[in-house]
Amino acid sequence: MSVEPRPLLSVEKLTIEIGGAAVVDDVSFDVAPGRVMALVGESGCGKSLTSYAILGLLPAAAKQTGGRIRLDELELSALSEREFRKARGKDISIIFQEPSASLDPLTTVGSQIAAAYRTHNDVSQAEAYDKARQMLADVGIPDPDRRLHQYPFELSGGMCQRIMISIALICSPRVLVADEPTTALDVTIQAQILDLMKKLVSERGTAIVLITHDMGVVADIADDVAVMYAGRVAEIAGVHSLFAKPQHPYTALLLASVPTLDDAPKADLATIEGRVPTPDEFGAGCHFASRCPLVTDKCRIEQPPLFDCGDGHRSACWHIDRMHEIVEVAA
Amino acid sequence: MSDPNAHVLEMRDVAVHFGGRGGLFGASGQVVKAVNGVDLTIGRGETVALVGESGCGKSTLSNTIVGLQAPVSGSIRVGGEEVVGADRHKLNDIRRHVQMIFQDPALSLDPRSTIGATVGEPLKVRGVAKGAALKQRVGELLTQVGLRAEHADRYPHQFSGGQRQRVVIARALALEPGLVICDEPVSALDVSVRAQILNLLVALQKRTGVSYLFVSHDLSVVRHICDRVVVMYLGRFVEIADRATFFDNPKHPYTRALMSAVPQADPVVQRGKERYVLSGELPSPANIPSGCAFHTRCPLATEICSQVRPELTPRDDGARVACHHA
Repeated sequence: MSVEPRPLLSVEKLTIEIGGAAVVDDVSFDVAPGRVMALVGESGCGKSLTSYAILGLLPAAAKQTGGRIRLDELELSALSEREFRKARGKDISIIFQEPSASLDPLTTVGSQIAAAYRTHNDVSQAEAYDKARQMLADVGIPDPDRRLHQYPFELSGGMCQRIMISIALICSPRVLVADEPTTALDVTIQAQILDLMKKLVSERGTAIVLITHDMGVVADIADDVAVMYAGRVAEIAGVHSLFAKPQHPYTALLLASVPTLDDAPKADLATIEGRVPTPDEFGAGCHFASRCPLVTDKCRIEQPPLFDCGDGHRSACWHIDRMHEIVEVAA
Repeated sequence: MSDPNAHVLEMRDVAVHFGGRGGLFGASGQVVKAVNGVDLTIGRGETVALVGESGCGKSTLSNTIVGLQAPVSGSIRVGGEEVVGADRHKLNDIRRHVQMIFQDPALSLDPRSTIGATVGEPLKVRGVAKGAALKQRVGELLTQVGLRAEHADRYPHQFSGGQRQRVVIARALALEPGLVICDEPVSALDVSVRAQILNLLVALQKRTGVSYLFVSHDLSVVRHICDRVVVMYLGRFVEIADRATFFDNPKHPYTRALMSAVPQADPVVQRGKERYVLSGELPSPANIPSGCAFHTRCPLATEICSQVRPELTPRDDGARVACHHA
């Protein structure tokens, strides 16, 4: 993260509240062109809300109460809904977890892709279909001419996710938000889709914000990782640095709780006791304090800022110097 | 169990087909051969993993074992008792020995019943316990899965996902079954909670000697918890081996592709490993390819593969593999 091009997407001190509770609290990260930034965390950590805020798609109950989101010079968080419609699909796009729930079941996939293209380009239907055909070939769908005229129910889950990616990318957006794009797919298909995303990033220089809970997917595709816990960034780092030397107790325990091909069969896995606090249970200090093996009084009272651990690796923990104790707990 | 020396589960040449005759849309329907000639034995205290992609028949197979689905042929013995063709009375008796845990605990619990009522229901229905004895047994079961006896009065919505899965496990163990079928028991749970549930399943097995059939697509979880692994592709087993043999020396090209496809939570390992990405997708089980069903996606396929179906054959290290070339 130390040397990299100017950020394309910049999230600065983003705060989102639901019913007065900050469910996303002071979240900042940058994504450069051609890079994959993974937002990792368990349910309720705020990763999906952060991604919806980038697209201007926050649910009615959630309000952005602080911070800003910029795409190059364009301040996304200041756009009206009307202006946002022009940016969505063209500058910034999203794919969701469940492709079959995102596609219109009553319209052929060709017409859905063409419609996405015509929303932002003044072309004829025939030209839009040509573009769609080419896009299907780019995402690795065999026999695109036949597929264009099929309905979503005629396609498998993996194929539908390729269609979603086609719709998201047909206007060549500079930023793609991928919200758990492979969670609903089989592992063999997941591998295909991840390879496709890697290819698109390198060929088109698209910046990707990847929302996931799967550390394996992160290890496969991410350049940078922000680990989120209960609305805040716990740790942010380059992918190699994060996995090699996690600097936040939560990250270290999370990594240790994933079974690997090296640990002894049926041996006890490291666990994180307790559960994620709900927003009304957030205390004044570190949100992880109630589950953390390193906790001290200071952690319960005062919120730790993100400390720089060198090389762009930052961790919000008062006890980074005691991280070796976590390694012992986990082992 | 009626015969303490019998295997917990013994399946011989079991086939489950759907459609094909009669039915709502007439007699012209295609026959979907979801499970086709499957043999499987599970011993006491053993954990067998059943691995495969969606549509390979693993859920149909699980449903058949618990009697939710009738096979068209073959024999299924639970604790030595034949399930196929058994009358209702007999079937009811056999069923208490096999229980099931599903993926999403929120969908497995009645939101309007207290968890005490949920966990105690099998005991009540079978007349095992009632009144104070029932209450005490429910308390024991809840304690056994890491909850507290006083939780019995609460409702499912008052628990987190991991705690709900503990309730489901307590209910499954209420009748002290010999076999519990775990259908993706941790894939709906958060990562930190997953480890808690896996640890619990292992601890319960050590304590009670229960056997598990563990249906999963997550090979790192499978390696962690299982003694033996079965790989299923389009209704048939293509590889069966002990855990160590399976993971040290996978043989079937499909097994190797599955292993390669599971991303490892280590960027150095994950990015350095040999990739073995399968082309295409699982063919429809209504239209299974000739010969070896895998030949349409197999990198090793030759002419014989499309003509002759390979049988499961034993190898030197004890693994059984259905492949002409592996």
